[in-house]
Amino acid sequence: MAVFDSPQEAFGILRPVCVQLTKTQTIENVEHLQTKLHTIGDSALQDLQEYVLFPLRFTLKTPGSKRESLVQCVVECITFVLSTTCIKKQDLLQELFSELCLCLSSPNSQQPAPVSEELKLAVVQGLHTLMHSAYGDIILSLYQPCTLPHLGFAISLLLTLAEQEKSKQIKTSALKCLQVLLLQCDCQDHPKLLDDTEREQLGDLFASFLPGISTALTRIITGDFKQGHVIIISALKVFYKIIGFVMADEQLEKIPKDKKKPSVECRVAELMVHREANWVKNTGSKLATLIEKIVEFVSVHPHWKARMELIELVQDLLLKCRQSLLNSVGHLLKALVGLVNDENADVQSRCNKVLKTFADQRIVVESRALADILSENLHSLATALPRLMSSQDDQGKYSTLLLLLGYLKLLGPKVNFVLNSVAHLHRLSKALIQVLELDVADVKIVEERRWGPDRLAESSSSLSEPPLYKSKSQRKYFRFFTDERIFLLLRQICQTLGFYGDLYLLVDHFTELYNESVIYRKQAAMILNELIVGAAGIEVEVLHEDKSMAGSEELRQVITSILEEYISQKNWYLVTSKEAEGTMKHSHLQAITSDVHTCHLAPLPSSSELSLTVCSMNSNIWQICIQLEGIGCFAHALGREFRLLLMSALYPVLEKAGDKTLLISQVATSTMIDICHACAYDSPRDLINNNADYLVNEISLNLHQMARSPHTPIVLEIMFQNSDASLLPLIEDVIQDVLFSLDQFHDERAASFLSVLHTVLAALEEQPPPSEAEMNDVCPDVEALLPVQTQIAKDVMERCIHLLSDKDLKTRLKVLDVLELCVTVLQSHENQLLPMIHRVWLPLVHRLTNDDPLAVLRAFKVLCTLGNQCGDFLRNRFSKDILPKLSGSLVTQAPVSAKAGPVYSHTLAFKLQLAVLQGLGSLCKELDLGGGDLNKVADACLIYLSAKQPVKLQEAARSVFLHLMKVDPDTTWFILNELYCPLPYEPPHPSLYPVSLSGMAKPRTEYTDNVLLLLAELQG
Amino acid sequence: MALPPPPPQFVLRGTQSAVNSLHFSCRSQAQSPPLLFSGSLSGLVHVWNLHTRRVDATLDGHGGQSVYWVKTLGDQRLLLSQGRDLKLCLWDLAEGRRAPVDSLSLDSVGFCQGSVLRGGAQECWLLAVPGRGTEEVQVLDMPSKTSVCTLKPEAGAKAGMPMCLELWQPASSSHPLLLAGYEDGSVILWNVSERRMLSRLSCHKEPVMSLDFDSRKAKGVSGSSEKALCVWGLDEQQNLKVCRTQELTNPGIADVVIRPDGKILATAGWDHRIRLFGWKQLKPLAVLDYHSAAVHCVAFSDPGQPREQLLAGGSKDQRISVWSVYNQS
Repeated sequence: MAVFDSPQEAFGILRPVCVQLTKTQTIENVEHLQTKLHTIGDSALQDLQEYVLFPLRFTLKTPGSKRESLVQCVVECITFVLSTTCIKKQDLLQELFSELCLCLSSPNSQQPAPVSEELKLAVVQGLHTLMHSAYGDIILSLYQPCTLPHLGFAISLLLTLAEQEKSKQIKTSALKCLQVLLLQCDCQDHPKLLDDTEREQLGDLFASFLPGISTALTRIITGDFKQGHVIIISALKVFYKIIGFVMADEQLEKIPKDKKKPSVECRVAELMVHREANWVKNTGSKLATLIEKIVEFVSVHPHWKARMELIELVQDLLLKCRQSLLNSVGHLLKALVGLVNDENADVQSRCNKVLKTFADQRIVVESRALADILSENLHSLATALPRLMSSQDDQGKYSTLLLLLGYLKLLGPKVNFVLNSVAHLHRLSKALIQVLELDVADVKIVEERRWGPDRLAESSSSLSEPPLYKSKSQRKYFRFFTDERIFLLLRQICQTLGFYGDLYLLVDHFTELYNESVIYRKQAAMILNELIVGAAGIEVEVLHEDKSMAGSEELRQVITSILEEYISQKNWYLVTSKEAEGTMKHSHLQAITSDVHTCHLAPLPSSSELSLTVCSMNSNIWQICIQLEGIGCFAHALGREFRLLLMSALYPVLEKAGDKTLLISQVATSTMIDICHACAYDSPRDLINNNADYLVNEISLNLHQMARSPHTPIVLEIMFQNSDASLLPLIEDVIQDVLFSLDQFHDERAASFLSVLHTVLAALEEQPPPSEAEMNDVCPDVEALLPVQTQIAKDVMERCIHLLSDKDLKTRLKVLDVLELCVTVLQSHENQLLPMIHRVWLPLVHRLTNDDPLAVLRAFKVLCTLGNQCGDFLRNRFSKDILPKLSGSLVTQAPVSAKAGPVYSHTLAFKLQLAVLQGLGSLCKELDLGGGDLNKVADACLIYLSAKQPVKLQEAARSVFLHLMKVDPDTTWFILNELYCPLPYEPPHPSLYPVSLSGMAKPRTEYTDNVLLLLAELQG
Repeated sequence: MALPPPPPQFVLRGTQSAVNSLHFSCRSQAQSPPLLFSGSLSGLVHVWNLHTRRVDATLDGHGGQSVYWVKTLGDQRLLLSQGRDLKLCLWDLAEGRRAPVDSLSLDSVGFCQGSVLRGGAQECWLLAVPGRGTEEVQVLDMPSKTSVCTLKPEAGAKAGMPMCLELWQPASSSHPLLLAGYEDGSVILWNVSERRMLSRLSCHKEPVMSLDFDSRKAKGVSGSSEKALCVWGLDEQQNLKVCRTQELTNPGIADVVIRPDGKILATAGWDHRIRLFGWKQLKPLAVLDYHSAAVHCVAFSDPGQPREQLLAGGSKDQRISVWSVYNQS
């Protein structure tokens, strides 16, 4: 289509249609005009603007009722003209403004005329366009005191539309239009910036509308969730823009006390507001009510964009009006605080950014008033917190805690104002302690046991996993909530407290609670752990950058003191299982007697209550786990500096890694991995190896007071399992302690020491010393020092000699076990072993021939191992010192047992017989006994193949023969057949002698059954 | 005694050899940790960091010959060590140096530890060591190594070899004095400047193994292989007089040390025990029973915070026990 740029041409084209429209006001004519308008260039149209507008305005102004569609058409046409031209005359602007508004006014009511939605929309858009087409200063002519009524009408018109219309489009347009009308448009098309005087005048002018606008907008905002977030967002925008303009602190400061004489002689000027202090105060308090409503409503609005706009509102108002809106600041901050941890990431980050801006501008910290308000809010929240925590559901708790977290973050270092108030710290901690109460009813925890020595080294693979304090923390179950997010929030709260709060104050307070009652202890420990994580600045979003981090020296001191509490006798050695109860009793009572003033705090106040319920054991297990997790946290807080604390922390952690309760041992293992991460060790093995000196120090000192540290063997065991050859000198050193202590107190504590020795030797068994041959290779000429392992085994064996004759059976049994291990370790060092065996021989023979059946059996086992290692050496001694006695007693005792009744199996004599028969077979095999001795054994045992003997003895006797078969099958076959021969043996050739066995063709005897069984075995 | 004595606070392992001499240096300079020096039978000096409880450095300057005296010169970095290789080494450990900066040849083959006294000038000090002749003590000016005098009991005194030395400076005069314990069981007080014996006290029947002197109270203590400690005093005429003797359960005292604050006396016993006495009345306070062989030496840390004061004992069992006892008052 051709475009006509010259006014002459344009005039030529437009004139006929304009004339036509002036004559006949129909839709067709309007549309005709609009079509022509499209062909006119912008500058040409600007020249002809008033000429073109005339017929259109004329149409609107013609008296009499008009068709709505015609009005709409005209308004749209005007809008088109205005959109491409600008208005340069004040009166035209004012006239158009009223004419457009009039289109929607109904003569007799305040309400907009009941016209079609399309028309309403057209008018609103028309007004919007009009405001944008005003040229330069002339827009201000609309805002003179004498235009107040028009303006007021337009404003109320738009508010009514926004509030009452159904169409979202109208609502939104009306709100947008209102924004423009209030000179708060976002767009860039407004060349003129207002100067101070203008702003002041406009402010006074708008002030008179403020109550109406703000109330209506609040109604719109808090109207209906379903009206859609776009409307809420627009309304929020108008709300804070107009308030931010009228109530701007910057403006209000300059307003003189007394009202100026109205410069314009106009009746309506009376209506204008003078914004002096009183007015500001009143308006502020009225607005506070509205703002509170809005905050309450929008902060839980389901759409994140609505919540996002709320943040803008808060930011705008707090930046511009924190003096005038003093009453609202609390609500505004609350909104912000509540959104700091919003589920929507954008909202969260925007909120954090805004908070950070405030922090950066020191709005909170430096403005006393704000900090006061925040503290006040936090005060009242702290006061209500215990009640809220017990009455709210998970969702409620979540929002409340979210708010709490927000306040803490926003207050930053100022949080100490609140914490310094004893009453408030008390309430805050009470609420935290209350809500963190664990549910300890799960029976499984006590029941799940750790079996076998699963090695820490194997868990080193998990070093690649994230450290415990981050995510892997043991799932805990709480009495008062199930939502995992709440726990996360609680942790963040404690961390934030730790980060900003006075660490000494907080740690003191919670340590006190920790010590006050077993009811608080677990929660207090959880809180202490998180306080430390926070204080170290791990995972805390820093809002206040000026906050100086807790000095590492301060942190180290605090951690040291908590650690001391955690691993103290009364807090670390808790009863966690039935079997532990017995062993704990002693040490616990000791702890109580040695520490009288604290005994009422101990979980077990008196021995009468020592039998524990599952719940309290469970609770103890969790207590230990939380403390272990704490040690992991401490390690992360200090990083490599924690290495220094390993001298006291590693030993107790290892104790727990070896705990029989699965959960404890798992958590302890994770703690070790945490420590590895924090202190830069490759693996738990590396950790143990590098700190074996600390461990040995603890172990050695504990060995000197064994009764108070029954777990020393466990730690030794783990240390040995994870140590390598480089630690042998240290191990030797600690063995010297064990042996020394054994020599000192062998009467009372021999059993504990022996179990340590057992552990040591079991470990040495797996790290055998180089054999004598190997050693000779290295330095053939010199008689080398013994390898450490050999020396240890030798030293231990030395003690065994004395203890073999101990009066306590349990000790004797343990000694026999240890002895067996010594023999194994020394196997490749005959020069050492044989003299030792020589010395151990006599007491050992006594065990075998003159002791409790249990000891006899163990002694057999030792002899078997000995036989394995040094058969030749032993064989003679066996047949000389032992065999006669054993076979003798078997033979004498056989008739007794053959005749005995059922009660006999409970006698010592029976048990001895059984033990000897059970042990003899394997020993014969290990010693590889020769003919004569074998016969002696067979002779003594044959009688026990009799069916008259108790069944168990028969079985045992059969086992002897089964072993003999392996040593010498032919002889055994012969002996058995002499007793009873089931088959005739025909010679294969007549020239051979017939086979004659004394058992042949015998009638069935008492031996028949057992012989047949054995022969079947032999043939099979 | 109402309470059993506490266990050691910690035990240092790793000398792999009997420990002969101990010396604390806890007054930290430029944030360096408190240190404990130990001299061992194998000829090594170990520098223990008391924060980490580990060896920071091992000094090898005596050719594998037993080191029986270690002492710093007021400064953590300057260390003296005396060994059976007839050498006295001076170490400057600053900046991680691990080699002796100077050494002095000794002529005595005994076990007599040296003694030092800070002179007026910062860099000057007196050193007393056993001299060339059997009964002689040589006093040198250090670090110039110039001989100040040789002290020898008059002919016929039959004091035997010097066994232990203690240089000190009375507050009233500028003349340094030397207390020396001899093989015959006597203690002699020497005026070093005048090279004159001031007093001689026969207090033991056996050689004096160790002595320590409290100049504030003008009172000293000595131990020998006997079953007794001897406390002696110095009157205004500078005569040594026995104050009292303290009977012991077992014979053999290898070392006696008075705590710098003058409150506690510690002894190292051949009976494996460290004994503590109140220094005023020699009231037995505690028997620290930890070692499994003879205790060769005891040492107190420099006075710092009362609670941080430590006692260390070095033993033939190759361990150093560190104790925190009687720290409250």
